[in-house]
Amino acid sequence: MTGNGPLMTERLNLGRIRNPWVVVAAYNEAPVVGSVVSGICRAGYAVVVVDDGSSDRTGDIALLAGAVVVRHPINLGQGAALQTGIDYALEQRADALVTFDADGQHSPAAIAALLAAIEQPGIDFALGSRFLTGATANLPMSRRILLSAAVWFTRASTGLPVTDTHNGLRAMTARGARAISLRQNRMAHASEILLQIAQSGLRFVEVPVNIEYSTYSLGKGQRISDALTILIDLFARRLYR
Amino acid sequence: MIAQLLLTALLALVLVYAWSAHRTVPIIGLLASGAALAGLYFVWVPEHATALAAFVGIGRGSDLIVYTWVVISLLIVLNLHLKLRLQLDMITRLARAVAIDRAKESRREPGAPRKRRPVPLSRKAEAPPIELQAK
Repeated sequence: MTGNGPLMTERLNLGRIRNPWVVVAAYNEAPVVGSVVSGICRAGYAVVVVDDGSSDRTGDIALLAGAVVVRHPINLGQGAALQTGIDYALEQRADALVTFDADGQHSPAAIAALLAAIEQPGIDFALGSRFLTGATANLPMSRRILLSAAVWFTRASTGLPVTDTHNGLRAMTARGARAISLRQNRMAHASEILLQIAQSGLRFVEVPVNIEYSTYSLGKGQRISDALTILIDLFARRLYR
Repeated sequence: MIAQLLLTALLALVLVYAWSAHRTVPIIGLLASGAALAGLYFVWVPEHATALAAFVGIGRGSDLIVYTWVVISLLIVLNLHLKLRLQLDMITRLARAVAIDRAKESRREPGAPRKRRPVPLSRKAEAPPIELQAK
């Protein structure tokens, strides 16, 4: 187990995974980050929260809730925060990592399912999908259309037959994590991860996960205008070495 | 003749800029080089500029050169934008290193003495330098 020392109450007995870490990128999530971290700790996982230069008490609350907190001195974006969390977890000799959103829309119960998926031999990534079961609650039609367009774009640009993109719930082995090097600081990191998975040649599976949309999480989520920014970021990244 | 010499000097500067940009952003270097070379050609062979301008429907050769200059300026702006992104990359790596170091320090046992060996000034750094450099 890790030095974080969470209680082993709900965590499944995982075979070859001995030291899983949950990585949470958080920016001004003080209202919800405490309950999110508590839920993950109760499920029995070590959690590192990357406080991405929040102006509220996100980092302090996450620390009190039981997380290891890594604080960016300035706000860099979700992609940068996730990479920081991944780097930190790998330094702690994590053998599996799960990325988890800080806005409370993910269930800690999904972590075990994702980790079980990468327990399979030869699988290095497990990607959460909202659309495998259709069980996602409160998904507005506008968000569904936006996500469908993102899925189409990702399939066209990476060749990966994914059913969902921009889903923050993912698990990866340490080998998979080392194959990922996020340089998209902002929201385009979700597409960048899929591109790097495709380039790495490592295998992935999709795992159905339920996302509970709330007024809070929808308010923090992406909009159609963000899609344009993501496309510009992805295009600009291809221009320079 | 004065205008031709002035434009030649300016376009030569653009060529130098394109050469330096080529190392970091090859596409910008290539496009800026092409535009600058085309500009040089048309500055000294204006009748060809007029012919080409008439062919593409612009009208006057001098207008074509102005438009070419606008394109070069836009490419330089794009290159500056990309340089800013490279600098953001470096800032990100720096902030990440600071954040992780601080987190590791804060996780040490409270009260445990911090052992830091003095590093001789002549000693080379053990950590590899950051390869990414703004150019």
